[in-house]
Amino acid sequence: MKRIATTVVLNRSSIQVDDAANARLEAYLADAARTLEGNPDHEEILGDLEQAVADQCTRRLPPGESIVTLAVLEPGLAEIGPLQVPGATPDVPPATSAARSPIGRPLQQISEGAVIAGVCQGVARYMGLDVTLVRVLALILLFLTGGAAILVYAGLMLLLPYAPAEPGAPAIRKLPLKCRELVLFLRLKLTALTS
Amino acid sequence: MDAKLTPIRKGLLEFLVLKIVGTRSVYVPDILRRLAGTEFATQEGTLYPLLSKLRREELVKYEWQESESGPPRKYYQLTESGRTQLAALDDYWQQINRTVSDIGR
Repeated sequence: MKRIATTVVLNRSSIQVDDAANARLEAYLADAARTLEGNPDHEEILGDLEQAVADQCTRRLPPGESIVTLAVLEPGLAEIGPLQVPGATPDVPPATSAARSPIGRPLQQISEGAVIAGVCQGVARYMGLDVTLVRVLALILLFLTGGAAILVYAGLMLLLPYAPAEPGAPAIRKLPLKCRELVLFLRLKLTALTS
Repeated sequence: MDAKLTPIRKGLLEFLVLKIVGTRSVYVPDILRRLAGTEFATQEGTLYPLLSKLRREELVKYEWQESESGPPRKYYQLTESGRTQLAALDDYWQQINRTVSDIGR
């Protein structure tokens, strides 16, 4: 039987991965992107990390094999180790890039407790309004524009940075989590395309 | 490893990385190899963010060099201010060492 493989471009290398390894790799990189959110060097670090993964896989592939499996990938990821961002970068606090409301609350999306992606929650906090009110207004807008408002929602979902989780915040529900993974994946592809 | 010792190691890692980069132009596996087997053994997941921070602080710089196998590699070197910083850290370290051994005699 022939195994189906996907080609993944990692920084300046490309590797062939099977489905399981592909999923693991995507989750790993999405996780890394999340850890680096707000870090001024996140693109550079992600690039270095991707290169490290590619080098590990190339080095660990048994002779004659060309497709990276979980058995090859996992020890490689273990050797690279968890992404540890050095303590503080005092000159660039993470929130400076986010737009701020007059009362000093950044415009972000809030995944915890979200219905779709957390855009309404973010807008509500930004404008100091009740979340339910913002959601109802969003629904009315959706009907009035014949559905076109969904594009605004999608745009905000793609562009707005994520609010850091508050201590004791509820776990992110399934749909918001999927939205988040999709957005992080798209952003990753975009940085890959532009670099 | 005792939890009380971890912050000491973490705090000194940056100093040691500057020291290693100060000896010659190195790429990340060189740094990993030099630290492997010491108390400061570390991993790429820790080094890349640290090196990016040092580069942003203009203490290190890198250049791309071709390798015989695989893609080009980043070789890191100290900048002028990196050298100054390293010398200052070295002095301070000596001073701390003296203080630590003097106190409590």
